[in-house]
Amino acid sequence: MNQPVLALSAVLFALGLFGLTTRRNVILLFLSMELMLVSVSLNFAAFAFAHQDLGGQVFVLMILTVAACEAALALALVVQLYRMRHSLDVQLWQSLGDPESIRPAPIEDSTWPREPSKENDGPSLAPAGRDPAGYLASESIDSPAAAHRG
Amino acid sequence: MNPSAAWLIPIAPMIACIVGAALAASRQAGRWAHGPTWIGLGIAAVVSLVFLATGRFDPQGSLLVDGFQWLSVAEAHFPVQLLLDPLSLTQVSVVTFVSLLVAIYSPGYMHGDPGYARYFAIFSGFVFAMTMLVLSSNLLVLYGFWELVGLCSYLLIGFWYQRPSASRAAKKAFLVNRIADGCFLMGILILWMLMSRISAQVGAAGGAGLLDFRRLTDPQTVQLLAKSYPEWLGWSMMLILIGALGKSAQLPLHVWLPDAMEGPTPVSALIHAATMVTAGVYLVCRMMPLMVMAPGVLMTAAWLGGITALLAALIALFQDDLKKVLAYSTVSQLGYMFLGLGVAAAAPELAGVAVLAAMFHLATHAFFKALLFLAAGNVMHAMNDRIDMREFSGLKKYMPKTRWLFAAGAAALAGIPLLSGFWSKDEILAVVLKAAGHRSHAESFWLLLVIGLITAFLTSLYTFRAYARTFEGDSKIPEDCHPHESTALMLVPMAVLAVGALLLGGILGPTGWLAGYLEGPHEEGHSHAAGHSYGLMVVSALVSLAGAAVAFASVKGGWKWFESTSGFPQLARQKFYIDELYDWTLVRPGLALGSAVAWFDQNVVGWLSRSMAAVPPFFGQLLRSSQTGRITDYVTVMAVGLVVLLTLALWR
Repeated sequence: MNQPVLALSAVLFALGLFGLTTRRNVILLFLSMELMLVSVSLNFAAFAFAHQDLGGQVFVLMILTVAACEAALALALVVQLYRMRHSLDVQLWQSLGDPESIRPAPIEDSTWPREPSKENDGPSLAPAGRDPAGYLASESIDSPAAAHRG
Repeated sequence: MNPSAAWLIPIAPMIACIVGAALAASRQAGRWAHGPTWIGLGIAAVVSLVFLATGRFDPQGSLLVDGFQWLSVAEAHFPVQLLLDPLSLTQVSVVTFVSLLVAIYSPGYMHGDPGYARYFAIFSGFVFAMTMLVLSSNLLVLYGFWELVGLCSYLLIGFWYQRPSASRAAKKAFLVNRIADGCFLMGILILWMLMSRISAQVGAAGGAGLLDFRRLTDPQTVQLLAKSYPEWLGWSMMLILIGALGKSAQLPLHVWLPDAMEGPTPVSALIHAATMVTAGVYLVCRMMPLMVMAPGVLMTAAWLGGITALLAALIALFQDDLKKVLAYSTVSQLGYMFLGLGVAAAAPELAGVAVLAAMFHLATHAFFKALLFLAAGNVMHAMNDRIDMREFSGLKKYMPKTRWLFAAGAAALAGIPLLSGFWSKDEILAVVLKAAGHRSHAESFWLLLVIGLITAFLTSLYTFRAYARTFEGDSKIPEDCHPHESTALMLVPMAVLAVGALLLGGILGPTGWLAGYLEGPHEEGHSHAAGHSYGLMVVSALVSLAGAAVAFASVKGGWKWFESTSGFPQLARQKFYIDELYDWTLVRPGLALGSAVAWFDQNVVGWLSRSMAAVPPFFGQLLRSSQTGRITDYVTVMAVGLVVLLTLALWR
């Protein structure tokens, strides 16, 4: 009787992983992560039920607690990040990479699909996809990234 | 006076040095930096003179003042003590007294210089080092302060370090002295080794105590050393002599002293004429009991001294720069002192008179040479730092007092009868004559006597030529100058020096005071010095008067030979091309070797290390492209890695 629950858990985990690897908005990344945590919790609950072992349920409670704390911290960080760059595009924070391998997001480049700019508004979603519309693949773009690779 | 008070002599200038250095921190306070120097040197001078006048010695003829233990390793002790004896007290009195006078003169000369406080701090530091050099009871401690005076000299030659010529001269002085000091150190180490070999026989503990002067010059030790290790002792003495020759600017290491005139003139007067350069003479006097065991070394000293005296006098004759004349004159007079010391080679019993003659000339020379330099400083001050005698003449109209002071110094240096220089120079010539009477090396000493007399003539000639060209004749001054007499603060110490230059020789020499003091009361039968050889006195008096007459005649008559740009005058004007010789034989090969080594270092060693350094980046290059800095990339890699690991774990 556990099979459907485990399948649901697997599907949720895969969705979360997919969202984490493809989304660029920090909040959506965070939500994807939460999704993965939930799927894992579900797994724990299912196995706890199957083995009639309360240890699994303890883990579920534990994970939920940690996730709640994490949410508080992560959202505070998100607010700070937004204040720094006025954007939640995760590609804007790459400074930990090797300088020659970084392909910085062309912030001022009008061809980059930007979030719609509104006055005095909160963060909004960035477009999904790693390299939307093949912008970075195209050498013709006169962007800092292109200059860097050249 | 309590013997411990002798520590005031070095410590007062040391404190003055520290206070002066502290004052240098503020421009405002720095203007008062001469205060501590005056007080410190004043205390040192008074204490030295009191000890000189009232010092009581133990039966050995000296007095050891305990200081502190520098180092103590097992049985070996390295004490720092002061040795008071007639030799050191004579020298230290000359040093502190002349230093005090030059320090009083200095504010007038250095007025308004940005480095005013620095000047006085180093000045006091020099006096501290010099007094410790003279008073230390131990050869090793002496060596330490030997280096310290060298450092102070370096700092003061390069005082105006913005001038390339000054910093070059400072480096040159330092390097030439380094050669000599290296030899000196080797000599000390050899002597130390010998002393530790015989230490059991003389019943001495190890450590630097072996190099204590009282132990070194103890007759029993000297005999033992000379008997057991004559060759080693000879080498050691030779190396120590080279150290002394370097510090006292004797051939072939004299090249640094004339260049040292780049420093402020009072420094030239004090360090490079009156005190530091006589440290070599003092050292040889100190080591005399051991030196006489190596007559070859003393003979070398005599010959080098004689040749230096002659060559430097010839060079001085053709210099146009007033300070250069005085510098070469200093070299020449130091050569005289070494010549005087060298006569002990003829017979060991001449050691006492040799030391006496050298110390006598050292003392009088300190006075008149310091006076001449300070007078040259006055001229420089009035002529806007010009010192080339071709640019001015007839200054007696503008600077009558300076003129008379210079004339007094010049007369004393030239050996005009009855003045200081006459007595002390005669003393040296007399001991050379006496040495020529001994059978060993008689020919050498006759020749050296002739050289000495020729030098005396040349000394008188160049000194009075310099005087006449500067102060006599038609007055001619550079256009932008307003010649003026110097302030009283500058003239008074010069007047004191002038009194010394005129009278000191007559007081100390013919009366036998210095001889009686240096040789000690217990050697009365062995009366002072070489005795007076009246014939020689007359000859040297005539020689110096003749030199003076020729000098005045040549300047008045405008003899062209002295300005000739060919033949011998040109050779002497170019300092016999000794600098050029060193340049071609030592400096350029050294530079070539240096460039070759630098090339090897850059291209071979450098290539090797660069190649090694290229390996890690090569491997790093392979991995660095994965570091994109994108979170999504990292997450992807993490997920793929997780899958791979799980797959492996499940299949296992």
